[in-house]
Amino acid sequence: MMDGAPKEAHPYRMGHEARSTGKPDDPGCATRPDASSIGEARFREILDGIPGFVITAAATGELELFNLQVLEFFGKTPDELRDWTVGAIVYPDDLARLVEAFTLSMATGCPYDLEYRLRRFDGVYRWFHGRALPVRDPEGHILSWYFLLTDIEDRRRAESLLASENGLLEMVAGGNSISKILDELCGFVEATVTGSYCSVVLVDSTGTRLEHGAAPSLPSTFVTAIEGRPVNIDSGPCAMAAYLNEQVISADLALETRWKEYEWCPMALAHGLRSCWSTPISSTIGKVLGAFAIYYTEPRTPTAEDQVLIAQFTHIASIAVERQQSQMSLSRALHELKTSEGRLRTTIDAIPGLVWSAGPDGNVDFLSQAWCDYTGVGLEGAGGSGWAKTLHPEDAERLTGSWASLLASGESGEFEARFRRFDGSCRWFLIRAVPLRDETGRIIRWYGLNTDIEDRKQADSLLAGEKRLLERVASGTPLGSILEDLCHFVEATVTSSYCSILLVDPTRTHLQHAAGPSLPINFNASVDGLPLVLSSGPCATAVCLNEQVIAADITLEGRWAEYAWCPMALANGLRACWSTPISSTNGTVIGIFAIYYKEPRTPTPRDQALIGQFTHIASIAIERAQGEAALTRSEAFLAKAQQLSLTGSFSWRVATGEITWSEQAYRIFEFDPALGVTLELIGSRVHPDDIPLMHDMVARAQAGKDFEYEHRLQMQDGSIKYLHMIAHGIVDEVGQMEYIGAVQDVTERRLSDQALSKVRSELAHVARVTSLGAMTASIAHEVNQPLFGIVNNASTCLRMLAADPPNIEGALETARRTLRDGNRASDVIKRLRALFKKTEAIAESVDLSEAAREVVALSLSDLQRNRVILRSELASDLPPVIGDRVQLQQVILNLLRNASDAMSSVTDRPRQLVIKTEGDEGDRVRLTVQDTGVGLDSEAIDKLFQAFYTTKTSGMGIGLSISRSIIEKHHGRLWAAPNTGPGATFSFSIPRGPGAVTGVDSLDTIRTPAAATEAAASWGTRNV
Amino acid sequence: MSRPSLVSLVDDDESVLESLPDLLKEFGFAVNAFSSAEEFLASGSVSATKCLILDIALPGMTGPDLQRELTLRRQEIPIVFITADEDETIRPRMLERGAVDCLFKPVSEATLLKALDRALCVN
Repeated sequence: MMDGAPKEAHPYRMGHEARSTGKPDDPGCATRPDASSIGEARFREILDGIPGFVITAAATGELELFNLQVLEFFGKTPDELRDWTVGAIVYPDDLARLVEAFTLSMATGCPYDLEYRLRRFDGVYRWFHGRALPVRDPEGHILSWYFLLTDIEDRRRAESLLASENGLLEMVAGGNSISKILDELCGFVEATVTGSYCSVVLVDSTGTRLEHGAAPSLPSTFVTAIEGRPVNIDSGPCAMAAYLNEQVISADLALETRWKEYEWCPMALAHGLRSCWSTPISSTIGKVLGAFAIYYTEPRTPTAEDQVLIAQFTHIASIAVERQQSQMSLSRALHELKTSEGRLRTTIDAIPGLVWSAGPDGNVDFLSQAWCDYTGVGLEGAGGSGWAKTLHPEDAERLTGSWASLLASGESGEFEARFRRFDGSCRWFLIRAVPLRDETGRIIRWYGLNTDIEDRKQADSLLAGEKRLLERVASGTPLGSILEDLCHFVEATVTSSYCSILLVDPTRTHLQHAAGPSLPINFNASVDGLPLVLSSGPCATAVCLNEQVIAADITLEGRWAEYAWCPMALANGLRACWSTPISSTNGTVIGIFAIYYKEPRTPTPRDQALIGQFTHIASIAIERAQGEAALTRSEAFLAKAQQLSLTGSFSWRVATGEITWSEQAYRIFEFDPALGVTLELIGSRVHPDDIPLMHDMVARAQAGKDFEYEHRLQMQDGSIKYLHMIAHGIVDEVGQMEYIGAVQDVTERRLSDQALSKVRSELAHVARVTSLGAMTASIAHEVNQPLFGIVNNASTCLRMLAADPPNIEGALETARRTLRDGNRASDVIKRLRALFKKTEAIAESVDLSEAAREVVALSLSDLQRNRVILRSELASDLPPVIGDRVQLQQVILNLLRNASDAMSSVTDRPRQLVIKTEGDEGDRVRLTVQDTGVGLDSEAIDKLFQAFYTTKTSGMGIGLSISRSIIEKHHGRLWAAPNTGPGATFSFSIPRGPGAVTGVDSLDTIRTPAAATEAAASWGTRNV
Repeated sequence: MSRPSLVSLVDDDESVLESLPDLLKEFGFAVNAFSSAEEFLASGSVSATKCLILDIALPGMTGPDLQRELTLRRQEIPIVFITADEDETIRPRMLERGAVDCLFKPVSEATLLKALDRALCVN
């Protein structure tokens, strides 16, 4: 707004411009222009063209000429102006000064230079800078005067506003009250704007009502009528201005129709006011702080100049109010800060830790109440570096050193140290210290918090102790030694205590001394072996009752008199005993943890907590140690058992290939126990012929199936070992298949089995021979008798006929007897034949797959012994056939054995056997046995099923013939075919359904081709 | 001509019991036939018997049992055992016990006569 002053009005500039025009008639020029050469009209023209106020006067001082600007400003005639000392041309207060200076200049011929106010045509006074310059002739006589007037109103006002603004701001800064500052502002406004009354109202903190600001010149009744009015458009012009945040002009209140509701205008008129200009005072962020109002006692509309002024005033008011308000909020904040410092103090004292602060030099200058309460030392004692006295002696040097280096480094840090409590006991604290820096990074203060970590420390130490003890348990340290360690640990943790641990003996009748390293030997000896009865002492009582027994003062104790325990304890200098049972996880009392003191003492809750921890550790130690011992024992048993039974155990994680062997397993395979077991390693021992079995086993394992195998090892010395291996798969928690198995060296059993098998087959042969012999004998016996008779009769007959005379009668008789005996012999044979007829077929429903499965189960070990890999493809939903289950199974068994035997000489390929059942065409069921054996030639196939045909070096060739008979009896068919590859396939197919099998007599059909032989063979087979 | 020697036969088989005495009579022997050992002992022919043809397998008292009994009674009659069982081990055992012979049925005429001759020579 200072800049808003019209620059053209600046006198010097105007002068400069005049000069720069180079015009000869420069009014500032001291030389009189040549009037004769320029006519008066021309001169007049020039004067009027000057953008300034120019007046000429005669040497005597009478005013002569006024340029146009002068005449327009004053709105008066030259004559009126010539009489300038009267008629309200010069502001009254300035007139005397001006007249005096004018008079003096006229008298002395000296120019004057003065500032004064002149009244404009509209009654407004403006400041002018007036200069009077004499025009002299060459001799120096004054010819006339020039008066140059410059409007300096804007400049002055700007200066004055600036000054007042500064004054006001100084007031704001000086902490003056807002009302005093606003009073000053109003006074300044009223001084600046002639005839005005000024007021400032403020918007309250809620923004809803007006409150008092300042109105030093207005009647107090008017002021109080305005204050408290709501901020809206109805309650008055200031409220409206504040509400709308825009200027509200009421040029004539008598004509005003607004604010009727609140009867504002009548109220203002009653106070003699006729016009009101209300302008909102806004903060820098646009928030309305209040309203600035100018009142006049006559109707008035603001001019542009007024508006400029108003803008300046409201700006100053806004600054003042805003500053004041921020000052207020600052002091409020300061106040709050003070309050919160109080609160902070309370908070600090409530913090469970100990709070302190120190100066940059490390001298402690604040200690929280908790700190003082804990140590029992106040700031006066612990301030500066006095706090170090409260440290545990062992920690003092270290901590003060650390504190010094922390101060030197200026970094935050943490330490652990023990502080002595008021009662002399020490507790561990975690000390954290943090530096507080100012904006330049300089450390202003140090703040610290000491947290009590005693419990944590103790827990850590207990945990460490527990860990150490458990490590010792795990490493197999003898229990006694572990428990002694525990006692030492207890005694180190609980000051001036003596600790002992007793165990309950395995018979649970006595106490056994286990550890008591710091107690007198005599005492330990006296306690050792005390019977587990209530009367024998506190420890025994604690076991019997399974509860803690406290003898706080043994001298006052009446218990255990029977065993005179108290005198014994007292004689050993003990005054207090706390016995706590040590229980196993299943709740059985396994021992006693006892703490003794040389003075009477009752356990505190802390003691009890520690006892709880210690007995827990003891329980773990004892149980682990005992368990470990039991485990070692059982491991030893297992190892011995494995060794004795030649059985090794193993585990195999199929996914990772990780194999673990027992010691005996290594021994069986004759590998160094240091070797890691791999399938390759195992494979290097497996007999070359059994490698396919091993591959089969791996395949089974990968399919997640349990397996059982017999295979051979070929040892380095060329000897053969037979192994029997069983493995059971389990799925562990992460879904991995793990096999747990046993491998047994069955070489001896296998060898004896083989021997036995040989013996058995010999026996079988013997039995067969014997039974044949027996049958033959039986047949012979039965036949020999009639034969003897026949022979005798024939001889007699011959003799009687040869006699002289021939005994015809006798000969006929003996001939008849011969005939009878011959029939008798024939009867014997018939009887024998009837005997064989007793093998009757039984008709029942047979599931061929099920029947085959049973046979496979029975033959599995034989097949494995022959290193045959069997694959079963047995249909699960096969329709049943009607027939003789046992006979059919004999056929299946026969086929399996033939297949197995056919592969016994095969060494260049896996001995693979496939047994398969399936439905066959024509409502039949088919069973197939396929081998990879020596195979058949077509010629052989024709003879195959004939009795006594065999490709085997041993055996009678009966099996297939009988098998075919049995199958035919079931109305089925048995046939053989060579494979496309090596080996042969034997199949039979029988119809299903009831009545499929024929009954008893069908055996006659079967037997027809070689009845007797077959009967003999089947007889024999049954006896084997 | 002397009285024909008495040959006694003990056999449970009907064919033998019927046919053998007729044959032996043809050779001039006197024959008494019995179907059991007990019958023979009770017959009163024991002391008169010069040779005993005895079946091993008999119901009740067996052939060897009768032999033992006769020894106990000091009736030392030469015995020729006959059996239908073709057990070669029986013969040595029987000879050991003092039998004149042990023959397996069916016995040939010549073999039987040879055995009877030896038996009667003992007397």
